[in-house]
Amino acid sequence: MDELELLKKDWQKNDGRYPKLSYDEIYRMILKRSSSIVKWIFIISLLEFIFWTVISFFLKDNEGMKRFQELDTDMVMIPLAVIGYGILAYFFYLFFRNYKRISATDSAKVLMENILKTRKTVKQYVAFNLIYLVVSVIVVLCVEFKMDQQLISQVNEAATNGEAFKFYATFILIVAGMLILIIGVLLLFYWLIYGILLKRLNKNYKELKRLEA
Amino acid sequence: MSKSLEHSFVELLEKHQNIVHKVCRLYTNNQAAHNDLFQEVTIQLWKAYPKFRGDSKFSTWMYRVALNTAITLYRKSTRRVKTQAFDAVQFKIKAEEYDRTEEQQLKLMYQAIHELNDIEKALVLLYLEDKNYNEISETLGITEVNARVKMNRVKKKLKTILNP
Repeated sequence: MDELELLKKDWQKNDGRYPKLSYDEIYRMILKRSSSIVKWIFIISLLEFIFWTVISFFLKDNEGMKRFQELDTDMVMIPLAVIGYGILAYFFYLFFRNYKRISATDSAKVLMENILKTRKTVKQYVAFNLIYLVVSVIVVLCVEFKMDQQLISQVNEAATNGEAFKFYATFILIVAGMLILIIGVLLLFYWLIYGILLKRLNKNYKELKRLEA
Repeated sequence: MSKSLEHSFVELLEKHQNIVHKVCRLYTNNQAAHNDLFQEVTIQLWKAYPKFRGDSKFSTWMYRVALNTAITLYRKSTRRVKTQAFDAVQFKIKAEEYDRTEEQQLKLMYQAIHELNDIEKALVLLYLEDKNYNEISETLGITEVNARVKMNRVKKKLKTILNP
């Protein structure tokens, strides 16, 4: 086919006409893998949310939870849940927005800014989860002490025996101990998952900064 | 991944970047799409680089990864316009360098190639790159006989497109 041979000649003649990207330009492109790291941060935060939702679903049948649900706590628990889910939804939106921005940009400067933003968002997300956990536990305990008849009678019994302080102290120590343990496990989990992703993101950030210098 | 690996990869890609440009040229219709595909191929090459053992030439490996990326994206893409005109400006073809008939013939050929399917485009690319059937079969992961048969079909198809 003559046309194909003609095209072959033309094709090979065009060899020198393609744009020539520099070492740094190509290097910046491979730093674009930041977008896949940010994508993973978004996906993992969603998976984590699903994980806790499933766990809470299974805990519903727990006797303690059943007893707690029998108390009239909607006035407190519903606003707490709404605020919690609302803020979580906002974080998912932020993670998604970071991912979209990072994957859409070609500018090293914008990429760097978004890496910093993502890092900040992840830190705020972890802090929010831990603070929310502590606040929820305190709220639940206040509700229990005010409304759970079984607990109130235990408190009264301890008070009649002159052991109210001992009762409260033991209770608070146990709760604080459990909270510290749970926060420790959560921090380890966050450090393992988000920490590794942030470390990689940081490495990309430093490389970009070096190239910009 | 280590610094030296990054360095060797970027150096090799810088040297062989024309391969990626050529793949982009056949699979895209405009400069923005060309740039996007170039970036995507670069990322895919970088991801696959640690597994590159040097069993084949770096350039052969590059053709393979670049074509696979282009084909995958081409299949995913719903935005492509089959009959979109070939953008001569994109490829910086200087009309004055050709006589009118030759220029017209080339333009029609490029348009015809843009109407081929993803695999056929890959065959044409390797043919234009003057690869022999052994190299074509190695790059596309098909037998040499199959490569010949397919190439003959592509030639016939191009003829039909050009002379309907």
